[in-house]
Amino acid sequence: MIADHFLSMVVFSVLVALFFATLYHRDRKRYIRSVAKTLGWMVVGSLAFAWLMAWTAG
Amino acid sequence: MTEPFPRWKAYGYPLLTLLVPGGGHFALGKRGRAAAFLLIVLSMFAFGLALGGGLFAFTGGNWLYRLAALGEAGGGLLYLVGRIAGWGVVDQARVTQVMFGCGSTCLVTAGLMNMLLIMDAFDIAVGRKP
Repeated sequence: MIADHFLSMVVFSVLVALFFATLYHRDRKRYIRSVAKTLGWMVVGSLAFAWLMAWTAG
Repeated sequence: MTEPFPRWKAYGYPLLTLLVPGGGHFALGKRGRAAAFLLIVLSMFAFGLALGGGLFAFTGGNWLYRLAALGEAGGGLLYLVGRIAGWGVVDQARVTQVMFGCGSTCLVTAGLMNMLLIMDAFDIAVGRKP
C-alpha cells in the first residue's frame, strides 16, 4: 500500500487531468495542453493550500 | 459524426455506461475514447482500493458516508460488484488507516467520473455533442 500523500495526490491528479482532457478535447495539441494545465493547477494548488494550512496553524 | 437517435432510444447508452465505464461510448462508435475512459475509471477505482479506501453503504453511518455512497454508486456495476465481493468494507480497522481518506476520495471520484460519462454518452446519442 502507498502511504505517501504527495505521491497519491500526483497519481490522482494525473488520472483526473487525463479524464477531463479525453472528455473535452479531440485535437492533440489542445489535449496535451489541457493535461498539463489541469495537472499543474492541481499539484501546485494543493501544495500552496498545504503550505497555507501549515502557515496558519503556526 | 454519429447520427442522433430518438430520445427514448438514447437512454440505452447511459445504461450501458452504468454497466461498463465507457460502454456507451464504445457502442456509439467512439472506440478510442471508450478504451481510455475504461482504463482511467478502472485505474482510479483500483487505486482507491489499493490505498485502503472504503466502499460506503447507503444505510447506517453518518450523512457524509451516505453522500459518499451516492458518489461511489455512480460507478454502477463496479460499485455493486465491490460491495458484493466485500472490497473496501468500512470498519474500525479501515477508517483508522492513514490513507483511508485519500483512497475513499479516489473511489468517490471514480463514481463521479462515470456519472459524467453517463451524461456524455446521452449527449452524444441525442446529437448534442459530436
